[in-house]
Amino acid sequence: MISYDFEYAKPATIDEALDQFQTFEKQGKNPIYFSGGTEIITLGRKNRIVTNAVIDIKAIPECTVIQKQEGKLVLGAALSLTEVIEQNVFPLLSEIAMEIADNTARNKITLGGNICSNIVYKEAVLPFLLTESEAMIATKKGLERRPFTKRFNQQLQLGQGEFLVQVTTKESDLTLPFLTMKKRKQWDVGYPLLTTAALQKESRVKVAFSGLCAFPFRNEQLEHRLNACQLSNDERIEQAIREVDTPLLDDVHGSAEYRKFVLKNSLMDVLNAFEGADRRW
Amino acid sequence: MSWSIGKNIIRKDAVEKVTGTAKYTADAPTSNMYHVKLVISQHAHAKLKAVNVARAWDVSGVRAILLGQSSLPLTGDEVKDRPILAFDRVRYFGEPIAAVVADEPFQAKKAAELIEVIYEPLPVVQSPKEALQRDAVLLHENLASYDKVQYVYPEKGSNVANRVKIRKGTIEQALLESDVVIEENFSLSPSDHTAMETRCVIAEVKQDGFVHFTSTTQAPYRIKEQMSNYFNIDEGKIIVNAPYVGGGFGGKVALHLELIAYLATVAVGGKQVKLHYTREEDMVTAPGRIGLEATIKLAATKDGKITGAKLLYLFDTGAYSDKGTMISKAAAATCTGPYQIDNIWCDSLAVYTNHPYATAYRGFSHSELLFAFERAMDILARKLGMDPLELRKKNAILPGQTTPTQVPLNSSTVGDLPRCINKLKELMNWQEGTVIPIDDEKVRVKGISCSWKTSTIGPSASSGVALLFNPDGSINVLSGIVEIGMGAKTILAQLLAEKLKMDIQKIHVHMEVNTQTTPEHYKTAASRGTLMAGRALVKAADDAIRQLKQIAAQVLICSPDDLDVGYEKVYVREEPDAFVEVKDICYGYKYPNGYAIGGQIIGKGTYTLRHLTNLDRHTGIGKTGPEYTIGAQGVEVEFNTKDFTYKILKAYSVIDAGKVLNPQTAIGQIMGGMSMGLNHASSETFVFNDEGIVQNPRFRTYGPFRYGNHPDYIVHFLENPHIDGPFGARGVGESGLIGMPAALANSLSVASRVELNRLPLTPEFIWHEKKAGNNDDLV
Repeated sequence: MISYDFEYAKPATIDEALDQFQTFEKQGKNPIYFSGGTEIITLGRKNRIVTNAVIDIKAIPECTVIQKQEGKLVLGAALSLTEVIEQNVFPLLSEIAMEIADNTARNKITLGGNICSNIVYKEAVLPFLLTESEAMIATKKGLERRPFTKRFNQQLQLGQGEFLVQVTTKESDLTLPFLTMKKRKQWDVGYPLLTTAALQKESRVKVAFSGLCAFPFRNEQLEHRLNACQLSNDERIEQAIREVDTPLLDDVHGSAEYRKFVLKNSLMDVLNAFEGADRRW
Repeated sequence: MSWSIGKNIIRKDAVEKVTGTAKYTADAPTSNMYHVKLVISQHAHAKLKAVNVARAWDVSGVRAILLGQSSLPLTGDEVKDRPILAFDRVRYFGEPIAAVVADEPFQAKKAAELIEVIYEPLPVVQSPKEALQRDAVLLHENLASYDKVQYVYPEKGSNVANRVKIRKGTIEQALLESDVVIEENFSLSPSDHTAMETRCVIAEVKQDGFVHFTSTTQAPYRIKEQMSNYFNIDEGKIIVNAPYVGGGFGGKVALHLELIAYLATVAVGGKQVKLHYTREEDMVTAPGRIGLEATIKLAATKDGKITGAKLLYLFDTGAYSDKGTMISKAAAATCTGPYQIDNIWCDSLAVYTNHPYATAYRGFSHSELLFAFERAMDILARKLGMDPLELRKKNAILPGQTTPTQVPLNSSTVGDLPRCINKLKELMNWQEGTVIPIDDEKVRVKGISCSWKTSTIGPSASSGVALLFNPDGSINVLSGIVEIGMGAKTILAQLLAEKLKMDIQKIHVHMEVNTQTTPEHYKTAASRGTLMAGRALVKAADDAIRQLKQIAAQVLICSPDDLDVGYEKVYVREEPDAFVEVKDICYGYKYPNGYAIGGQIIGKGTYTLRHLTNLDRHTGIGKTGPEYTIGAQGVEVEFNTKDFTYKILKAYSVIDAGKVLNPQTAIGQIMGGMSMGLNHASSETFVFNDEGIVQNPRFRTYGPFRYGNHPDYIVHFLENPHIDGPFGARGVGESGLIGMPAALANSLSVASRVELNRLPLTPEFIWHEKKAGNNDDLV
């Protein structure tokens, strides 16, 4: 139960949504964009999200697009994770999405909602950090298209009143060999201890993590160490781990030290998977 | 031929439940009632400097705001140590401090959020061992002055809520004379029941002074009794309704929300109020599962005969004792597991800490103590170089021997452990070995545990059943058992069908309990439904049979002694063609000339547990429960030696059930228990930070079992009858659970080659123990 009152608007166009945001803002309602609602509801009842107005973007046609055009896959921010999984146009994303929350929640959680969430994991960003992807953002000046990796730094960088409309990914990247692994404290459902997504492009391994630190990330130095073919796997991993430059999470899911152990195992699995890449893929 | 016993009768509550029409407490329409919301403590231990409610009154719809007061009674089953609303001080994270009553739930919540509590943090006690240190902070300075029942022993000036001693034989001699001694420490933290239905109560004081409760309770009659006791209300003027309960597991035995709801309804002139816990409140504010620290010392001869056991059980009862004192007693009574040991020294304590307080949990100490004891058995077997099942078989307790509390056993009161072990060996293909390599990384391993359980409930606990005949010859069964999901009322119908040799479709059970109109059943707890209500039912059936025969004798003009009841008829035993239909006499009989005799047949029966005693304070001699349900359990696990993750492949239970009354419901009980035991062992626990704050009071971080996590469950029953039980049945409600934690820990200890003596068994914990135990490069 949410104890505060809030207004609800469901604009039909991007412009209406932006205008609505401004209107609510002028009224001092601290508006937020709303799509699946799972986080607003669950954090709202604990007053960890407090707002007096929500703007539902699910009726905006651009936000529910799922299509390939001009060599790119376009995914609307308001697509549910279940839709993304079922259409399976981006296998790496499908595999990552399939492990987020549970089926009932995935029917509601949206791609954009997960990318822009308050919860630290935001696992749906991992595939976009690893591929040539762009974030399409609604701004007062119109739609702005920016490389995803540039726009994403700990979280998606959005100005006041802006919202994520779509994410596009280069079509040829969709079929690159990949590996995903989600390690949890125990069993098969729930938050990650460590989610690793790895992709091989032009014989280089790229890797991105969620659950290791307080935000999902990709670290180029770490990748550089991991791709140092002249060294043994153990050495590569050891050096790669040293490149993690932010504190490891130390929480109810696992200690920082244990996460390091899990990271090491996961990186070993990544290297092993791609070692025989030609055979395997 | 059997009419009903031993058959897979579909549960009487099945249709309502599978169609979603079954009504639970919170389903009652909420129009015309107020709603209560609590302010709960954000500290595990603190002085309450101030509770400022002024801003809360600004919220529209607020009718009353309640705070703790010294004038309110202290509450508790055995030791009255708990304020209804915290007063002056809070002792656990989640403790109720204030309650707001408002027109709508959101208004109550909004107002509760505006109540400002000023705390002055106090040092936090986080474990029994810490609580027992000489300079430990005391949770209850006035412990010695609290009201209590006679047979619990709080220790003045300490954090000890109760101490039970078992002294059998001479332990020091046994330790001296043995060949092998092991001593190990074990522990597990408090956790929660996490029943699907969170707790809820609706309370009202009507204009005529009658107090009504509808509650998610396993103990409606105890609400009546205790409310009367605390608030001086005539017990007959308290009426408690208990609809279906969506899982209790012991957690709904405790009187908790009802106390607050009563104060709330009184504060608003008796108007109906509803208090419904969120999942978080249900987990930390309401009482949960007890924690344990144990030290087990076992002495044995070279050939594996256990000669002595020195046992220390320190139960973490949290901030208040509730059932903690009785749990420490139950643990003492069966402290050795199902083994014959001549020399036993055991101290079993309930110790206060700043954790959420503990109440009954399915197994009532047994899964906890068996985790420690059965782990120790495996460690002893390893030290002796003996097969762990052989060690158990060699020491299995048998008829003719005595329990730790020196109760002599016979083949009725104790099941057949050696046969359970033999069957388990066969089912688990034991001769194949216990460690089977799968590949470079993975092994398949097996682990086992034996178990026993008896009940520890009040010596005068009783149960009553009334049978009301309908004019069509069908019968309504009234019993105070609450249907908490275990199917006990269906079992009562089966017993009646068997007794009256009739179609079970014509036996109707009333599911809801109303303490004003339903005969009392002590508490729906301790696996005592089938024994107590079952025996009451058998007696009520005999009473109905006697009445039927009496009236039929007049109709058939013969002696009642010549008659039998069956097939919905009362007939002459020797000449079954001479009969009268039950439907023609169960509402009296009308002669052709219009004369009538008799009236509605109402059968009644009660049953009280026999010859139970309190335990002697110095030796523990005494009898806590009527019979022991014995079992042998095992698991088969696929373990990854590289990253210490694992998957439970199979779980086995061989239980001596006495007599299986309904195979499917019995299997369901065992399987459900096994899944609870496995998940408790592998995942569930409260995680506390240094301040004693629970870090995971919600499902997204607590780690419940999901559908896909379940192993294959293999359940097998032996049937050595318990002569006192209806048709020989023993209680089986808890047996599936209690050996599972030890079995899993034993298998993983074998797999990981390190003794795993703490729950839950997460991969991180195994990694941690491996790291501590050797110099492997694990980071």
